[in-house]
Amino acid sequence: MSVAVMKTKAELSFAESFDRVQDRLPGSPAVKQVRRSAANKFAELGLPHRRIEEWKYTDLRSAVKDALPVRVGDATQMTIADVIVALGPLAKLETHRVVFVNGRYRKELSSPDQLAGLEFEDLSSVLSSGNENAAGLASLTGRDDDAVLSLNTAYMTDGAVVRIQASSDLMKPLLIAHVRAGAEPGFTAVRNVIDVGAKASAQIIEAFVSLPGAAKEGQANAATQITVGDEAKVVHVKCAADTGDGITHLSNWMIRLGRETDYAGFQLTQGVSLARNQIFVAFDGEDTKLDLSGVFLGRARDHIDTTLVVDHAVPSCESRELFKGVLDDQSRGVFQGKIIVQQIAQKTDGKQMSQGLLLSPDAEFDSKPELEIFADDVACGHGATCTELDKDLMFYCESRGIPSDIARGLLIESFIGEAVEKIDDEPIAEAVMEFARGWLEKT
Amino acid sequence: MLEIKNLHVKITQEDKPILKGIDLTIAEGEVHAIMGPNGSGKSTLAHVLAGRDDYEVTEGDILWNGESILEMAPDERAAAGVFLAFQYPMEIPGVAGLTFLRTALNALRRKRGQEELTTPEFMKRVKEKSAALNIDVEMLKRPVNVGFSGGEKKRSEILQMALLEPTLCVLDETDSGLDIDALRIVSDGVNALRSPDRAMLVITHYQRLLNHIVPDKVHVLAQGKIQRSGGKELALELEQSGYAEFGEKAA
Repeated sequence: MSVAVMKTKAELSFAESFDRVQDRLPGSPAVKQVRRSAANKFAELGLPHRRIEEWKYTDLRSAVKDALPVRVGDATQMTIADVIVALGPLAKLETHRVVFVNGRYRKELSSPDQLAGLEFEDLSSVLSSGNENAAGLASLTGRDDDAVLSLNTAYMTDGAVVRIQASSDLMKPLLIAHVRAGAEPGFTAVRNVIDVGAKASAQIIEAFVSLPGAAKEGQANAATQITVGDEAKVVHVKCAADTGDGITHLSNWMIRLGRETDYAGFQLTQGVSLARNQIFVAFDGEDTKLDLSGVFLGRARDHIDTTLVVDHAVPSCESRELFKGVLDDQSRGVFQGKIIVQQIAQKTDGKQMSQGLLLSPDAEFDSKPELEIFADDVACGHGATCTELDKDLMFYCESRGIPSDIARGLLIESFIGEAVEKIDDEPIAEAVMEFARGWLEKT
Repeated sequence: MLEIKNLHVKITQEDKPILKGIDLTIAEGEVHAIMGPNGSGKSTLAHVLAGRDDYEVTEGDILWNGESILEMAPDERAAAGVFLAFQYPMEIPGVAGLTFLRTALNALRRKRGQEELTTPEFMKRVKEKSAALNIDVEMLKRPVNVGFSGGEKKRSEILQMALLEPTLCVLDETDSGLDIDALRIVSDGVNALRSPDRAMLVITHYQRLLNHIVPDKVHVLAQGKIQRSGGKELALELEQSGYAEFGEKAA
């Protein structure tokens, strides 16, 4: 039975905008066709709502009241000094840096050192080039029924298209910086497409940050496709660390892992009022190690959702998830972790943990581990906890002369530290911790 | 000087009184022991001195160097010189021992109007004091007390005490869970801190500890009150007679 549902203001606005802006969006005729069908798909699906099981805790239909103006082009004045300010702790890292402002590539602010092993193009150019790969972008993981992803495909303006050649070592991390700037609030859709060659070693950081003085409100729809070749080693970190008030951050990570790869992904989410971070992992080869972790920090009425689906479709792979949330005031954290172990995926080793630390009696953490195991020779486990700051530990610290605010910070840092330590690179982990400290200091 | 005057205490959430009028004075340089059966209020007294908010003082006062500390937060009491060695030292996952010690020491030094220590100065002190307590500094790079044995935890408490240089040391059943060798190391650590400007209150269930840390005075706490006070020989007498005469069954 299908029920005709009234479209909301935001849904209508997103759908109507497409006719208005489609001619100004980058892309060959083939790409325009892909955009058109994605826009139609979105018009059909609408924003996900609580009656869809995966969206039970995060009802975008009621949370996204209106669509901000879709950003197509951008000419915001910006200097490298501005970029450094926006990047905060990440600016201290030695990186290959590519910078996007309000969803458009800014060559003059970027330094992607075209050294051996790293090929970079901006998505806007790729989409216009008529490259077959471009038209196939949207269907990479077959998530055609995802309304958020459809919106991304319809409106994506730019992003990083990166190829890391086989057997190469990037030596320093690739930093893909998406900077929000300017007094006008807007909706930005960006997509990064990353291909890591076999036996390559790479560290990739995606940053979603803002320049002081940027509009308080903003909507970002970000999608990242990453394909990791056999025996490659990847550290992949996303820092959504905005400072606005009324920021929506919808993101999709679509990950494909080859044989014997070692992939560690981490996501930090803070300074965002409404976040839905989706992660989809598919294993293409055996003996691969997946490590997903993350930290989310909420206050006021922030709502931060992490939803992941890990599909063990081949035998002998290992997956680990550790997500930790610190929730103050009336904020709400959501974690949904679905682990599928297909019948063929014997010897799968999977462990999942999600933990919420509630700093206020009105904060809430909803955790839903889902294990679907069809193989019979596997080791899988999951756990979820939800706690307050330990009063006994607080007293212990204070009785040693540590003032309560410092003691609180120390204990919160130790709580999230366990997840941050999963980032197998000390300078990056330290930068992430510094973002978090900046947030905590305002608590 | 510590002066406890007619101290009445109950658990904050409940009505049942635990301490029912304690009077106790400890001068600088003195070591007093409090003995008593289980449930007599010994640990409550220790935690009330350190400022635990699970307890409510309903009557009486605690003066430290002439000033009431009842309104002071635990960290302010620590700055004023109060230190409680816990019966069950806490484990703090994710916080390295050295970070913890340094944060505490520098917070105290700031409040006491002293300069913060530089890293080399701090490490020099830690190494000195650790060696005396037979603690490997490597252990302090691990999270506070995590994975430590009972004896290691107690030595770590005494190390904190030595570093933070309190003037009122309250030791809550520091001997519990210690074997003879660990007891000697811990006692030596405590004795090394005995000084004319430092007062100590040693809480214990057994006389054994008092062979190593010889007190100036011994008090028997039972049913929420000090029932008897005497010299160190009182501890020996109790070892013979038990606590039966104070109206409590043997533990």
